[in-house]
Amino acid sequence: MTKKRPVAAIMMLAMFAVVPLLITPAGAQQLSERAKQVGGKFMCMCNCNQVLTGCNHVGCSTSSAMLKELNVSLSRGDSEDAITQMFVQEFGTKVYAEPPKSGFSLVAWVLPSVYLFVGTGLVVFVISRWRKRPAIQAAPAGGAPGISAELLERSRAQASRETQD
Amino acid sequence: MAHSNRDLSTFYKVAALWSGQEGSLLFWSFLLAVYVLSVLITYRNKNGELMPYVGVVMAGVQIFFLTLNNFVASPFKALASPGADGVLNYVARADGSGLNPLLQYPEMVIHPPNLYSGYTGFTIPFAFALGALLARYPGEKWIHLTRKWTMIAWMFQSMGILLGAHWAYAVLGWGGYWGWDPVENASFLPWLTGTAFLHSVMMQEKRGMMKVWNVWLVFCTFLLCILGTFLTRSGIVSSVHAFAQSSIGSWFVGFLVVIISVCLGAYLKNRDYLKSENQLDSIVSRESSFLFNNLILLVSCVAILSGTLFPVFSEWITGNRISVGAPFFNKVNIPIGLLLLFLTGVGPLLAWRKTSTESMKRNFGWPLGIGLIAGVIALVFGFREIYSWVCLILCVFVASTVGLEFYRGAKVIRARSGATYLASAVDLTMRNTRRYGGYIVHMGMVFVFIGLSGAAFNRDLQKDMQVGQTMQIGPYSLLLQGFDSRPEKNYTAQRMLVEVLRDKKPIMMLYPEKRHFSTNEQNGTMVAIYSTLKEDLYVVYAGDSPDTQLPVLHAYLNPLVKWIWLGGAVVVLGTLVAMLPNRRAVLVLAGAPQPAAQPLTHGLTPSVTMRDGHD
Repeated sequence: MTKKRPVAAIMMLAMFAVVPLLITPAGAQQLSERAKQVGGKFMCMCNCNQVLTGCNHVGCSTSSAMLKELNVSLSRGDSEDAITQMFVQEFGTKVYAEPPKSGFSLVAWVLPSVYLFVGTGLVVFVISRWRKRPAIQAAPAGGAPGISAELLERSRAQASRETQD
Repeated sequence: MAHSNRDLSTFYKVAALWSGQEGSLLFWSFLLAVYVLSVLITYRNKNGELMPYVGVVMAGVQIFFLTLNNFVASPFKALASPGADGVLNYVARADGSGLNPLLQYPEMVIHPPNLYSGYTGFTIPFAFALGALLARYPGEKWIHLTRKWTMIAWMFQSMGILLGAHWAYAVLGWGGYWGWDPVENASFLPWLTGTAFLHSVMMQEKRGMMKVWNVWLVFCTFLLCILGTFLTRSGIVSSVHAFAQSSIGSWFVGFLVVIISVCLGAYLKNRDYLKSENQLDSIVSRESSFLFNNLILLVSCVAILSGTLFPVFSEWITGNRISVGAPFFNKVNIPIGLLLLFLTGVGPLLAWRKTSTESMKRNFGWPLGIGLIAGVIALVFGFREIYSWVCLILCVFVASTVGLEFYRGAKVIRARSGATYLASAVDLTMRNTRRYGGYIVHMGMVFVFIGLSGAAFNRDLQKDMQVGQTMQIGPYSLLLQGFDSRPEKNYTAQRMLVEVLRDKKPIMMLYPEKRHFSTNEQNGTMVAIYSTLKEDLYVVYAGDSPDTQLPVLHAYLNPLVKWIWLGGAVVVLGTLVAMLPNRRAVLVLAGAPQPAAQPLTHGLTPSVTMRDGHD
């Protein structure tokens, strides 16, 4: 290892060590954080397609009314489930910011994992096939059915000629 | 006229073209025509066997959009309003209806053209892939021909997405930049498959593998562009971006069916031409990393697509529309994104065919160590958000791998040329623009991820304010100095005059605005942002409180957001570098004793031209 290498590595380390210092960790939660946390679980019904606490349309009467309702419920000591029931009764299931983890909605949560497992299975299958297969170049007689190695080579040469910049 | 008015500045009068359904489709046709013309001129006397097929595919897509322009959504229709008897009255109007206030922001003039250039640009690799398959055009030539076109489209798509995010951040006033809105998702889906394609083409170029996969990735990217357009314009999903609900969606469905049928037919007929030429020598190899990179990108794409369409499916199946909002997409995509970030660091350092244990130790030892030390430092300083912590470690790891690659290459050049490290790194990059341009893009993505990781630490505070009152958020004190009203040509702005202090020292004035557009009687906001690399102080004039009648100041402290925009710029720079032709490397050998007769200027042995580098 040269002398410069540790110096460069230390400089890099120092540079990135500063990154965490840039961020001040969140402090103690304020009282209204509870409303923000619960409100983040519902959509604003003004068709903005944002969560309730995220809608900030100037003069959005829908989000104001919903937040007011939420504040009243929280100050009354209602549980999160009771608040959810209240909003679902008022607006229907489209008020959920994320699908509930029950019934048909569970499908939405399961699908990404299914994609990942099926995809990984496919990749493993493809890799195992690739590892078993002899290379076409190594076996001149083998190749795509109906295409001789000679034809393939001639076609390559022609393509190469025609596409030279 | 429906989207413009006389008082609108020229800047926004131009932007009004793509603010409505009809104009945006016309603009789409125009951009597609520019691409098609460029391709036809570039290859006018080349690739005689391939170009007729490519031309037919491009013309087919162009004809579809021209049909929409002429017969379905004509931008040249006269405006009319129905009378009491239901008959349309064509009345000359003194002025237009005006542009949506949300669109009157500089980014909206450049965001749609960038995004549309991305969408339309993917037509070119699609046309070449389908043309090559239809023509049974052998080899990897179609990939070589379309690489730059794909990168151009990808770059525009990336810029379009980031400009849209910046617009949402600066105009919508909710303190965020990405809300997983269906239309945002629609623009992100082809970007994901396009990114997968840009990586997997290397497998075909270098090893003659993944030919079927590449063809289908291009097909899917183009199909997702059309699907996204369908989602935006059919009204099938509810979105703040969506155009008015119309029957145009059925045209896109028809087009999608035709494309899928043609692609499937061409593939089934000529799939024998897409046989892989090589085998996989080892699981620990660049080939495997590309497979997993593609897997992760595709899983993310399909997960976002199914989440976007889930409300529609839930309504069809259960009768109840179940919303899928940002919390769901965040929960699903953050782990996927972190996996992808990990592969961004690992992939480029694995060798083709097989990577030895020794090589892995050499390549990953330092970056892993640096990443872990950064993680420990972060823990010591109170980092407790698990995803942000992992993201930070991975960002440091990836940045270290990229930095180490530049350092090693530059060191070799420096040893020969005696140039500085910086000059040697530039020389290195220019010798293999594709490889080192790619690394720059990866570095840009690291910056973007650093910016995204800051979201876990966002804070906000809302307060009814009287003149002279202050609000404290983080290290900043916001003093409301007063209000003013600023009449502009097209709107009237009510501004809060907010002085920002830090440690009791004034830093700057911020002017969050509330705008009233009299032409269409609509209101809008203009956020005021004090942005540093550490954090953004983001201040919104959130209207007047219904209870106290006092103006409401909503302040956000968003850490690291600037890194996202910086990362976007680095991604664009890297893409541009990767598109440059390689500079031929000139190997200058050390000075050798020369015959006295030779002039001094030729004192070194003649340059030896090296083969262009390869990644």
